[in-house]
Amino acid sequence: MNMKHTMKKLLLAAMIVSTPLFAQVKEDVAVPYIAFPIKMGKGFDTVQANCLTCHSFGYMINQGKQSREFWEEKVNKMIHAFKADLISQEDAKIITDYLFEQYGNGKLK
Amino acid sequence: MERRSFIKTALSAAGAAALGSTGLNAGTTRQPIDNREISEVAFPEKRPMITYSDRPPLLESTRDVFAYPITPNDQFFVRWHMPDIPTKIDPKNYTIHINGLVNKELHITLDELKNNFEQVEVTAVLQCGGNSRSAFQPTAGGIQWGSGAMGCAKWKGVRLSDLLDRAGLKKEAAWIGFNGQDNAAYYKTPNFVRELHLDELDDHVIVAYEMNGEDLPYLNGYPVRLVIPGYYSDSWVKMLSNITVTDKYKSLFFMDVAYRVPDNECECETPENRAKTTKPITKMNVKSVIGYPSNNSKLNHDSQVVIRGVAFDSGHGIREVLISLDEGKTWENAILDDGGQGRYGFRSFRFGFKPTKYGKMTIMSKAINNIGHEQPFAKDIKWNHGGYKYNGIDEITVEVV
Repeated sequence: MNMKHTMKKLLLAAMIVSTPLFAQVKEDVAVPYIAFPIKMGKGFDTVQANCLTCHSFGYMINQGKQSREFWEEKVNKMIHAFKADLISQEDAKIITDYLFEQYGNGKLK
Repeated sequence: MERRSFIKTALSAAGAAALGSTGLNAGTTRQPIDNREISEVAFPEKRPMITYSDRPPLLESTRDVFAYPITPNDQFFVRWHMPDIPTKIDPKNYTIHINGLVNKELHITLDELKNNFEQVEVTAVLQCGGNSRSAFQPTAGGIQWGSGAMGCAKWKGVRLSDLLDRAGLKKEAAWIGFNGQDNAAYYKTPNFVRELHLDELDDHVIVAYEMNGEDLPYLNGYPVRLVIPGYYSDSWVKMLSNITVTDKYKSLFFMDVAYRVPDNECECETPENRAKTTKPITKMNVKSVIGYPSNNSKLNHDSQVVIRGVAFDSGHGIREVLISLDEGKTWENAILDDGGQGRYGFRSFRFGFKPTKYGKMTIMSKAINNIGHEQPFAKDIKWNHGGYKYNGIDEITVEVV
């Protein structure tokens, strides 16, 4: 599925106008899987079991370093706004602890 | 700004990923993070791009595409909200439903859309409200985009007003809800629905099936998406399948919680003192981005350099773009293109100069629109917790060798 590319910086010499294609992709579209470099640590198993149902690790690690309160709010948003209510209160705390430990800014608020 | 590589090549065949991290110098706004490397993995119909997530897909364009007034489809940024987007679209049977407070419910196929209505084109900038979010310090919540969560394309489709006229609006009609085809992993998750008040919808709003002369790329909302020139992209619903007319505003997560800024004069707040009330982000502010040269590149001493970039706003149009080569002390006019893309598109600018001093130098661009709004310096941008609407004067650093 994944073709490995080595990419050179491309200079666009000209805009190429191609004829309109009727649906460029004719079969099922395959969105590639990317192995994001997630940090290992206490609670990681719980994170893996709960978070990947809906989104990649990339979504988590690209939020920047954040406060404990921020991560707590994010986890709560997943449970309440996005209805991931299979996440138990216990797991929510483990996930928050993990996120703050690995991707925290050291501040509680 | 310090050059950082945000990419660690992963050991798997899947390749590289962006790693977000930001220094913490509290309470300041700086230039957005730039020069993130592109992934080794290409997404469908795209070249490899800066990749924040595969599920949902979040892809950013690199700065160099902004040397041109049109952004190529295969380098156009991507942002979805839901994990499940249909992986197969049957263009023959795809239908857009128009229902609610209408005299006649409509079920319009792609074919009918292309043949039974007047076809119109508009060139317009599509920009995420969180574009350049990585400029905000302390880190604002959300994906830490550089300045590449935007692009400009020529969109072709049918006026929304023509579709609504064909259905016939009942007199109590006030709100139009737009729903796309992306789905949540959980049945109960709110769908990504946007609602717009009838007053906000003018003749420039189109239901588009073509982008730069081709079908919309799958990841940009194939087969049809809403195009709302001048508005941030959260309202430009992708894979549009349902248009529902109502008389009352329905409370919706993505309207009431996400994509909002403080409802005060400066649209700002502090981390310690959050604004009590918020409002949707809606219209874009004036902005410019330098496409060439790129950050931390080298220029030859005494060579003839042409700086290129793009400027845009919510549709008033760009009056001038100014360039500073001395950290904002003095400004000179760049040459603007003829404005042929119209008031909603990128207006490209160029500025020739000869670097005569060796060493590091900064290049800044500042756009001013037709009603006199101009970009503030990055450091003067006021913070908001969602990291929305950054439009600081763009700045790059180059070395003259």
